[in-house]
Amino acid sequence: MKRNTMSYKIRQYLMFAGPATILFCGVVVIPLVYGFYLTFTSWDGISKSKPFVGITNYIAAFGDGAFWVAMGRTLIYSAIAVILVNVMAFLLAYMVTRGIKGQNFFRAGFFIPNLIGGIVLGYVWKFVFNSAFVAIGENLNIGFLKNSWLGTPSGAMACMIIVAVWQYAGYMMLIYVAGFMSVSKSLIEAAQIDGCTQSQATWKVIVPLMRSSFVQCIFLTITRCFMVYDVNLTLTEGGPFNSSVMAAMHVYRTAFTEHAYGTGQAEALILFIVCAIVGVTQVYIGRKGEVSA
Amino acid sequence: MKKFITAIATVTAAALAVTPVMAATDLTVFNSKSEIQTQFEEEAPVYSEAAGVNMEVAMSNDPVITHMGTRYASNNPYVLSMVDAKDIYSLTPEHGIDLADTKAAADTDYAIEIDGKVAALPFCIEARGIMYNKTAIEDITGEEFNPADYATLDAFKELLDKLVDGGMDAPVAIMKEDWSLAAHYLAQWVEEQEDPEAYVEQLVAGEGDIINNEKFNSLMDTFDVLMEYNYAKDAAVNADRNKSEDMLAWGDVAFMFGGNWDWSLIVQSESDSEMGMMPVPQNTDDGTNEKLVGGGSKYFFIDSSVSEEQQQAAKDFLDWMATDPDGQDFVSNTCALASPYKSNTLDVSDPLSVSVKAFADAGNLINNYNFFPDDHITKCGATMQKYLGGEIDREELANELTEYWKGAAVIEH
Repeated sequence: MKRNTMSYKIRQYLMFAGPATILFCGVVVIPLVYGFYLTFTSWDGISKSKPFVGITNYIAAFGDGAFWVAMGRTLIYSAIAVILVNVMAFLLAYMVTRGIKGQNFFRAGFFIPNLIGGIVLGYVWKFVFNSAFVAIGENLNIGFLKNSWLGTPSGAMACMIIVAVWQYAGYMMLIYVAGFMSVSKSLIEAAQIDGCTQSQATWKVIVPLMRSSFVQCIFLTITRCFMVYDVNLTLTEGGPFNSSVMAAMHVYRTAFTEHAYGTGQAEALILFIVCAIVGVTQVYIGRKGEVSA
Repeated sequence: MKKFITAIATVTAAALAVTPVMAATDLTVFNSKSEIQTQFEEEAPVYSEAAGVNMEVAMSNDPVITHMGTRYASNNPYVLSMVDAKDIYSLTPEHGIDLADTKAAADTDYAIEIDGKVAALPFCIEARGIMYNKTAIEDITGEEFNPADYATLDAFKELLDKLVDGGMDAPVAIMKEDWSLAAHYLAQWVEEQEDPEAYVEQLVAGEGDIINNEKFNSLMDTFDVLMEYNYAKDAAVNADRNKSEDMLAWGDVAFMFGGNWDWSLIVQSESDSEMGMMPVPQNTDDGTNEKLVGGGSKYFFIDSSVSEEQQQAAKDFLDWMATDPDGQDFVSNTCALASPYKSNTLDVSDPLSVSVKAFADAGNLINNYNFFPDDHITKCGATMQKYLGGEIDREELANELTEYWKGAAVIEH
C-alpha cells in the first residue's frame, strides 16, 4: 500500500483525528459560524423567521452605552483580579514548595475552591458578605463590617474580586508549583555557590525560568475574568442598581431578557474579540522573552 | 435456523395482533410557576390515569423565552405551556391556537385575546398590594384592624407611628428586588392612569411629565413613608427577601409590599398569624386606594405544531382545571391559589389569595399593564434601587425614568 497518497493520508487522518474533528466542529466551529450568522438577523430567540438586517446589530452594539460601561468595568475587574490572583497564587506556590510540614495537604486545600462551581460559590460568599461579616461587625463593633459590602457599587466590585482570588488562586498555584519544580536544583545550587542569597536565587534564577508558567496563568486568569458570569449572577445579580453588571451578564440580558438575540450575539462576538486580542497579545509578549536553562 | 426465525416472527406478529393499540397521548406541560411544581408533579400521574393521557410537567429556571426557544429550536415544543401574560404576545401569534371552543374560555373574564382569537387562559388570579400581619397589629394597638380604615396615607402613617410607639421599631419591610420595585410597585403608577395605553404613548414620546404626574407623586409619597419605616433603612438595597418575609410572618414587621405569590415563602415560617392584603394607601379620592392591582396570571397556551390529539388533550386539561371539581380542588386547595374561573366557588386556603379573591369578586382590581418593554425590570429596577438606597432624589428618579421611556420598545399587542 502506497503511504504517500492523498487518500491514504485522509484515511489515516479520519481514523485517528476524525472523531475529535467531528466533535470539535459540532460543538465549536458550527455554533461559532451559526452565531456569527445570527448577528446579521433580527431573530428574537423564538420566532420561526430570522429576518436579515445586515450590520444593524453591530451598529446597535457599538451604540449601546451600557455595554461599553460593562466592558470597561470588566476590564478594571480583570486587571485587578489578574494581578491579585497571580500574586497570591505565586506566594502560595512558593510556600508549598519550600518543604514545609504538610505541604501536600495545603496544596490540596488551596486547590479545593476551584472545584466548587461558580454558582454555588456565589451563593456561599453572598451569605458570608451579607450575614457572616455583618454579624461579626455588629458583635465586635467593627464599623466597616457592619453593613454588607454588597450594598455599595465599590463594595460589590471588591467582593467580586475577592471571590475571584479565592476561586482561582489555588488553581494557578498548581501551575506555579509545576514551574517551581521544573527548575533544576543544580542551577539554584550553582547560583548559591556563586554567592546568591536565597531571595536572589529566586528572583534572578527561578522566576525567569518560570516565565512560561506566568504566561499560562495570566492567560487563563484573563480569559476567565473576562467571561465571568456565574459568580456575577449569584453573588451580586449585577447590583446594587446594575453597578456590577459585567460584560457577559450584559450580553446575556440583551439576548435573553430583552429578546434582542442578534444584538446580544454581536456584543458577545465583540467581547470574544477583545478578550482574544488581550489574551493573545499577553501570550505573545510573554513568550517573546522566554528563557530556558 | 430459517424455521426458528419464522417461528419467532409468527409469535411476535400474533402478540402484536392481540395487543390493543392504546398508546396514551403525550401531554407535555411547561410550568413557569416554580412554587407549585411539586403539586403539578404529584397531580400528573393522577390526571394521566383519569384522562388516559401521558402527562409530564417540566419547569425551568431559565427565562421563559430562553427555555421555550430551546424547545422550539430542537423541534420539541411543549403541548401546553404556562407563561407570563407578556410572553403570550410574543409566543402565541406564531405558536398558539385559538382556545375559544374550550369550556374554560367561556368561564373566565381574564382570557387574553389577540386578533379576535382566545390566545391564552389564566391559571390563577394574582394581585399586588400591601401585605399585613393582622395579629401583630392588633397585639400592639389593642383594636381590631380593618384595612379599609387606612386607605389614605395620612391614616396609614398614623398607624405606623402608633406601632412604633407600641414597641415595633420599624413596622415595614421593602423588597429590594428589581422585579418587585419596577414591575410591581413602579408599574402601578402607569396602571393607575385613566388610560394607561395613552399615557405610555406619551411617555415614549417623551411627554409624560413624570415629575408633575399626580399618580407618580402619590405613589412615591407612599414609598417615601415605607422607606422611612423600613426595618432595613440603613442598608435598604441589601435587604434579604427571605428574612423580610419571615419577619412579616412572625410579626416583627407589620407591612410589606408584595403579592399573593409571596405566600409560598411566608408559609414556610409556620407562623399562625392572621394575614391579608390591602391596597397601597394613598392620599387620593379617585378610588385607586381601594383596589389591588392584578388579574389573571400565569397563562396557558397550546402549541399549534403538535398533533390534533395532543391539542385536544391539552384543551381537556384546561377544561378540567376550570370546571371539573377535581381540577378546581387542584387549583384552590392543592395549589392554594385564587381561581379565575367563575364556576370555581371553592374557598382558597391561602389567606393572601383570600384577600385577592375578595377584591377580584368585588371588581376591585386595577388591571395589569402587560406591555412594558423587555428591559423595563432591569433598567427601571436599577433606578428604583438607587432611589431606595438614597442615591437619587425624586426629581432625579423622574429624570431617569423620562430618559428610559423616550423611544422605549413597548411589547407589540
